[in-house]
Amino acid sequence: MATTTATISISSSDLMPGSPLNISASSVLMKTGITTGMELMEMGNAEIAKDYEAQLFADGPATDNGAYWIYICNTTTEDSTYYIEYKLHETVIGRLYAGDWMFVPYNASDGDAEVEVKGLIGINKIEYSMFKTAWTLPAAES
Amino acid sequence: MATLIPTLTLSCADATADLINFSVVNNLSVTKNIVSPSKIKLTTSDLEIGPTTYGKSYVYLKNTDDTIAINVEVTDGNSTMQLAAGEFAFFPWTGAAGIVVHSASGTPYLEYAIFEA
Repeated sequence: MATTTATISISSSDLMPGSPLNISASSVLMKTGITTGMELMEMGNAEIAKDYEAQLFADGPATDNGAYWIYICNTTTEDSTYYIEYKLHETVIGRLYAGDWMFVPYNASDGDAEVEVKGLIGINKIEYSMFKTAWTLPAAES
Repeated sequence: MATLIPTLTLSCADATADLINFSVVNNLSVTKNIVSPSKIKLTTSDLEIGPTTYGKSYVYLKNTDDTIAINVEVTDGNSTMQLAAGEFAFFPWTGAAGIVVHSASGTPYLEYAIFEA
């Protein structure tokens, strides 16, 4: 088993006068069942042009409440107005503008539980990774 | 306008021969509504923590329980994320669909914050 540790800090000195914000949290990425560390991962980077919609990972493994983690970062530096939107389970969750990132545990609850991105403005460069409980490569075409 | 600085660090020395060790940081503008870090007790009944009155926002969630999972739905009935014991999430949210949470069982506590851009 591998030990992959994710740590987040969220800070702000001016959100509320006299009360600086300092959130910190850490988690070891565990397979479903929270006793074994995740070992399987898929990483990459890509360009997402305006109006192009892409599926980042193969269809989910149809594991209800299976543990997976997704990281997506819009690494575009050319223009701060460039952005993509991302979908989990066919639902638009949010937009990632140049420099934005997200990191969430993803519920791969069925084979249609996809992770998709769509370019809205500009040619966006993204990097992404998924940490997985289980992973079967797509079967070869005959 | 306030500046929110989220930083994510991922590290692993033993998953592959190549060490994983990276960090990403961002500077976000927060100009509207804020839900300061809050802690609530959940049940198996749905509870909306992020109403659609919000616009573009950034959301932080953390399951503070040691054993019980928390389900997160961004449209009703669609369990988009599951926070296992101790897990957290940070993501941009459009506000177009509400954020609903409930426990998988029992009464775990959820820590959360919402920052509207």
